Amino acid sequence: MANKTGEHNLPVHSSVGGDGVHREWSRFKFPRSLINYGILLGILLFFSYSVYYLNIPLERIMGMFGRLGDLMADRYFPPDMDYIVDLGYLDAIIETIQMAYLGSLFGLLISIVLGWFAAHNVSPSPKYIYPIARLLTMGCRSVHEMIWAILFVTILGFGLLPGVLALTMFSIGFSGKLFAEEIESIQMGQVEAIRAMGGNHLQVFVYGVFPQVRVAFTGIAIYTWDVAFRAATVVGFVGAGGMGWYLKRNVMQIETERVAAILISIVGLVVISEFVSAWARIRVSKAK
Amino acid sequence: MQTSSVPLTVDDIVRLRRKKQTVQFGFYFILFILVLWSIQATVIDDTDWERIGSLADIGKSVSHFIGIDFALIPNLLGPTIETFMIACIGTILGLIICLPAMWFGALNVTPYKPITYPLARIAMTLSRSIHEIVWALIFVSAVGLGAFAGILAIAVRSLGFIAKMSAEAIENIDPKPVEAIRAMGGSNLQVMLYGIMPQVLPVILGIVIFEWEINIRRSAILGLVGAGGLGLVFFRQMNTFNYPGVTTVILAIFGLIVVGEITSHYSRKALN
Repeated sequence: MANKTGEHNLPVHSSVGGDGVHREWSRFKFPRSLINYGILLGILLFFSYSVYYLNIPLERIMGMFGRLGDLMADRYFPPDMDYIVDLGYLDAIIETIQMAYLGSLFGLLISIVLGWFAAHNVSPSPKYIYPIARLLTMGCRSVHEMIWAILFVTILGFGLLPGVLALTMFSIGFSGKLFAEEIESIQMGQVEAIRAMGGNHLQVFVYGVFPQVRVAFTGIAIYTWDVAFRAATVVGFVGAGGMGWYLKRNVMQIETERVAAILISIVGLVVISEFVSAWARIRVSKAK
Repeated sequence: MQTSSVPLTVDDIVRLRRKKQTVQFGFYFILFILVLWSIQATVIDDTDWERIGSLADIGKSVSHFIGIDFALIPNLLGPTIETFMIACIGTILGLIICLPAMWFGALNVTPYKPITYPLARIAMTLSRSIHEIVWALIFVSAVGLGAFAGILAIAVRSLGFIAKMSAEAIENIDPKPVEAIRAMGGSNLQVMLYGIMPQVLPVILGIVIFEWEINIRRSAILGLVGAGGLGLVFFRQMNTFNYPGVTTVILAIFGLIVVGEITSHYSRKALN
């Protein structure tokens, strides 16, 4: 105990070398504290410059809340609930769910392979295949799902297929990285055993790697579906089918009460899907 | 959970395994039927195969995108900086509006549980479940076109993630420093500042940096609804059918995101 207090016995006032210099104790010593303040100052300067560069009307910020409130009360307020129980709209909801389901399924199937290639420890060729697979997952991830949707709509035309493909790309980017990270953290014992028995790369993956990551993969897959559904609600905005198309149409026609109703339905569905995914993930992690 | 002391016979084990297998088989069968149904509805019924044409036609459409429009590159610098700044300010603003949500949303520090806790949870769910495009639309109609609407959209959109993760971090703190400060007669504010903040600050900073990285990606598309940045250039190139220009913009977005990812990786490493 004495040792312990001795360690932490940092005096509030310390006299250095007995010459009685009065010093305040501070958490960081001299060069470190200067660097910290320097970084903070740099960040602050950058932000003030950005506010100036982007021409942000600071004086309008206060008035904004009043206007937002007015906007909500005047235009969005009684949401047109009849519109979203319409048969056509319900059809669009089912289409959205199907789109998210298919997109995440295709994406997951592809990213199981990509994740295997992009994991450094079991990749068939760490020198050539590994960087390519890494680049592919990163490319899929860095392009936003809306941009994928726009690109596929220009190539394939309007409809659900470009939506499914956009969500596929999105899911590859989302789950490929998680899969690769999961594979990189496995125990290498089984892998080495199968390698020592003369198993080829596919056998190593199927018998050494996959059984170890099966449960984690299932959890990630469910989560991917949940996120893909969230993205699926708006990819229709650029013509890729589903609820987004209804949203776009009503926004363009300034049918704000219908927009409010659509937003309510999106939030409701996302909350439901979140609950389902949380429940399923708990079930999976319990079942092991 | 060993409730019965009677050992399982071989028959029991076989029966249990059969039951499990049946359930599993049924589950996979349902999944398979769902796949078939979805493919039928989306890919077969709803697709205009005549518009798409043969594989060669698809190849032709894709080949339009190959190439880089070098004339566009000097015009990209401004929007790239703008996108980057929108992401930075949006994240910081998100952190600021997120502070009350964190405080209300953590069970152990929420001021009045029956009201403030659900309030914070609703705010988090709303923020996470509405897409950034939709937020941007709402803010564009409230504050007009421009970067400001994009910043607000980013801020509101990042509230959910930051607040949820930070509230979890606050719930998992070590309660001893808090008790010590309470015992010394510290006020609620002092407990907050000296008991909780030092424990969660590194975690929250890590979360914010992670969210910043995602926000760069988001801010790159907000131009689609008139909120400035690279998205606006992208949309303009798309509308003028300048497909090599589209590729150039996508490469610029890619470069910006790589920079963001590297920065975030190293700064999160430096935090630990």
